[in-house]
Amino acid sequence: MSSVPMEMKENTVASSKWLDAHYDPVANLYTFTSCIALADLHGDGENKLVVGDLGTGACNMKLKVYRGTGLLSENTLLDLPTGLVSFLMDKHEPRTPAIAVASGPFIYIYKNLRPYFKFTLPPLEVNALEQDVWSQAKEDMIDPMTLKEMLEGIRDKADIPLSVRSLRFLMLEPQDMEEFVNLHKQQPIRRQTVITCIGTLKKNMADEDAISCLVIGAESRDIYILDPEAFTILCKMSLPSIPTMMDVTGQFDVEFRITVACRSGNIYILRRDSPQPKYCIELSSHPVGLVRMGKNVVVGCAQETLQCYTQKGKKLWTTYLPAPVTTMAMMDLPTRGFQAVLVGLANCEVHVYRDKNLVSTIKTPDVVTSICFGRYGREDGTLIMTTKGGGLIVKILKRTAVFEEKDSVPGPPLAQSIRLNVPKKTKLYVDQTMRERENAIAMHRAFQMDLSRMRLAAARAYVKALESSQTPMSASLSEPLKMNAVVQGLGPSFKLTLNIQNTAACRPVMNLAISFLYDEALYSMRTAFFKIPLLVPGLNYPIDTFVECLTDKGISDVIKVFVLREGKSAPLLTAHINMPVSEGLALN
Amino acid sequence: MGLFDKLAGWLGLKKKEVNVLCLGLDNSGKTTIINQLKPSNAQAQDIVPTIGFSIEKFKTSSLSFTVFDMSGQGRYRNLWEHYYKEGQAIIFVIDSGDKLRMVVAKEELDTLLNHPDIKHRRIPILFFANKMDLRDALSSVKVSQLLCLENIKDKPWHICASDAVKGEGLQEGVDWLQEQIALSNQNDENMRPS
Ligand SMILES: Nc1nc2c(ncn2[C@@H]2O[C@H](COP(=O)(O)OP(=O)(O)OP(=O)(O)O)[C@@H](O)[C@H]2O)c(=O)[nH]1
Ligand SMILES: [Mg+2]
Repeated sequence: MSSVPMEMKENTVASSKWLDAHYDPVANLYTFTSCIALADLHGDGENKLVVGDLGTGACNMKLKVYRGTGLLSENTLLDLPTGLVSFLMDKHEPRTPAIAVASGPFIYIYKNLRPYFKFTLPPLEVNALEQDVWSQAKEDMIDPMTLKEMLEGIRDKADIPLSVRSLRFLMLEPQDMEEFVNLHKQQPIRRQTVITCIGTLKKNMADEDAISCLVIGAESRDIYILDPEAFTILCKMSLPSIPTMMDVTGQFDVEFRITVACRSGNIYILRRDSPQPKYCIELSSHPVGLVRMGKNVVVGCAQETLQCYTQKGKKLWTTYLPAPVTTMAMMDLPTRGFQAVLVGLANCEVHVYRDKNLVSTIKTPDVVTSICFGRYGREDGTLIMTTKGGGLIVKILKRTAVFEEKDSVPGPPLAQSIRLNVPKKTKLYVDQTMRERENAIAMHRAFQMDLSRMRLAAARAYVKALESSQTPMSASLSEPLKMNAVVQGLGPSFKLTLNIQNTAACRPVMNLAISFLYDEALYSMRTAFFKIPLLVPGLNYPIDTFVECLTDKGISDVIKVFVLREGKSAPLLTAHINMPVSEGLALN
Repeated sequence: MGLFDKLAGWLGLKKKEVNVLCLGLDNSGKTTIINQLKPSNAQAQDIVPTIGFSIEKFKTSSLSFTVFDMSGQGRYRNLWEHYYKEGQAIIFVIDSGDKLRMVVAKEELDTLLNHPDIKHRRIPILFFANKMDLRDALSSVKVSQLLCLENIKDKPWHICASDAVKGEGLQEGVDWLQEQIALSNQNDENMRPS
C-alpha cells in the first residue's frame, strides 16, 4: 500500500527475516564482541553461550554460561577480560572445547567450566640501569630522593621503558617513598606486558573439531602462538604497532595468515614464513571492527565507513554508514552458503552487509555492544547481541528468509549505472555544435533581446488589464474579490452562474452591483443589472441568471460582466464570457 | 463401507487405516513417541536423529495407524509439505524444555496451518508438549499460549503434556485422536448419499 511510510515497510520486511527468540533487557551482561563465544561445552550437540562479563567498573567480572534463555553457570574472574575464545586443546574423548579467557598478562584456561591452567606471558627485558639503581637502593646506598632523580633520568632517556614498580614510585609523594622502597626493594624487578587480543589457529588439520593453537596479541607489539597442549610459545612475531583486533586463518603447520588491526590505524598481514608483516593497509581513520570475508578484509572505521580491502592491501569499496560503528561480527551460514558482515551502529541498528550492499536492517531497543552469530542451542542461524544497558537479545533467522542480492540502501537506482546505447553523432549535429560554438555571443544577445521584449509585452498587457479592471481578481485592497463564470445549457437558453467570493480575511463587502454588456441583437437577458447581497468573507456566492440566444445563424459573441461599486463608474472586476454557439432551436 | 467391512471392523478383523503425519522440530521426541506407541516387541532400543523421514505402523483398538515420522532438522523441514495431502491427522511434537526455539516451533506450525493442502481441511491436530519431566519444562498451558493454539478455530486440536521416554501422557493423546477420526468418519458417512 502506498500509504505505508517507506521506513516502516523496510522495517517489517527486515524483521520478518528474524524470529524474536529472547530478549532480557536486564540480563546484566556487559561485554564486547571479543569476549563472547558459542561452544558445545558439554558435547551434547547443544551449543552454549559463553560470555566474559566485564561487570560494572572494577567489580563483578564473571565468566557466564547461558543455555537457551537461562543462565547455566557463573565463575568469578579476577581481572577484566580482554578476550575469550573456545578451542579444542586435546584429542581426549569426549571432545569438549576448553575456554580461554585473556586478562592482563594471563590466559586462564577452563575445562568443563573449571579452572584448569593459567598461562603468563613471558616477562619483558628490564632496563639494566634501572636494575642497578634498585640494587643500590636495596643495599641502602642511596636515599629515596636520589633514587627518584636517577629513575627520572632513565625514564627520559632510555630505550627500554621503566617497570611498573618504578613508574608507581615516581608518582608517590615524598613522605610515602621510604615505605614503598622498603616494601619492594627485596623483590626482583619485573616488566610485564598485557594481552590485547586473542584468537585461535588450527594446528595441522582443517577439520571442524581439529586441535587449535591460541594466538595472542600483546601491548608489547608482539604476536605469540601457543601450543595447545603444553602452552609453550611456538612462534613469536613483531609488529610496528600495538595490535587491537585480530583475525586468524589457516593451519599452523601448513600455512596461516594473521590479519591484525593496530592502534596506529594500520592493518598488518602476517604469514607463516615471514616474522615481519607482509602487507600493510593504511586506513584513513581508526579501525573499530574487523571481519574477514574469504580473502578480503572488511573494516569498520571510526569515520562511519565500512571499507573492504584485498589481502594485499588494495581497496575494493567503501560504504558510508548512518552512524558510528560500535561493533562488528561475521555472519556465516555454511548450510546455505551465505556470508555477510554484521555491523552494530550507535543509532540502535544492526546492519547486515553482503559485500557493500545492505541486505537487512535490525532495529534494537538499545545500542548493541557485542554481536555473535552461529549455532546456539540446536539452531544454526542464531544472532546473539548484548546491549550497552546490559541486555541480551537472541534472534533466530527464519528458515525461509532470503536476502535480496539487491542493495536496499536508498540511493541512485540501478538503472543509472546501465550504459545507454547512444547513437553516433550525425553531420548535422556536428555542424550545429560548431555553429553554436562560433556564434555563442551573438546567439546569447539575440536570445536576451527577445526575452526582454517578451517581458515588456507581458508587462504592458498586465498594466492594461489592471487599468481597465479586466481581471477576474480585484486588485483593490478595500474590495478583494474573486469571480468566475460558468455557462450551462445547449441553447437557445443558457444559464449563467457567477461565483463571487470575498477573499478578505474578515471584512464583509457591501453595496456591490453586477451589470452585463452584450449585443442586444444576439442575446436577451431577463435582468441585465442586479445588486449583490452582503458578501461574508470566504463564502462562495453563486448568482444565476438566464440568457436567451436570439439568432439561429450559429454565431456567438462575448458577454461582458462588470462588478461595480455603488457610486463609482470604474468596475472592480471584469469578466468576458465566451458564449457557446446555440445548438438548440427555439421552440417558438 | 459395505456391511461386511463394518462387520469386520466391529469384530476387529479389519481395522480402518489412517495416515498420520508426525511433525515438530528436531530433538523434540517424535521418534521416541512413535516408538513407544508400537508394540513392545517392535520397539527400537536406541533412537537416533531421523534422516529425511521414516514410516512406522501401530494399531489401536479400532484403527491401524501409518505414521510418517518426519525429520525435524532445518534442512529436511521442506519435505513436510509433500506429505500434507496424504495425512488424515497430524501429531505435532514440541520440546517443552526448549524455550528458545518455541518461536521456531510456532513459525513452523503457522506455516503448516497456512499451507493450501491443510488450510481448508478439518484435519485433527494432536499436540504433545513433550519432555515434561525436564526440570525447567514449560507446562502444556504455557506451550499452547506461546504457540497461540487458541487461534486454531477451524480444526479440532488437543494438547497433552508427555514424557516419551517413560511413555506418560501418550495414551490420552492417542485416544483423543482415535475419537476424532471416528467422528469424522461418521460425518463422512452421514453426508454420503445412500
Ligand atoms: N527427558 C526427556 N527426553 C526425551 C523425551 N522424549 C525424547 N527425549 C529425548 O530427546 C532426544 C531426541 O528424541 P528423538 O525422538 O530422536 O527426536 P525427534 O523429534 O525424532 O528428532 P529428529 O528425528 O531429529 O527430528 C532423544 O535423546 C530422546 O531420548 C522426554 O519426554 N523426556
Ligand atoms: Mg526422529
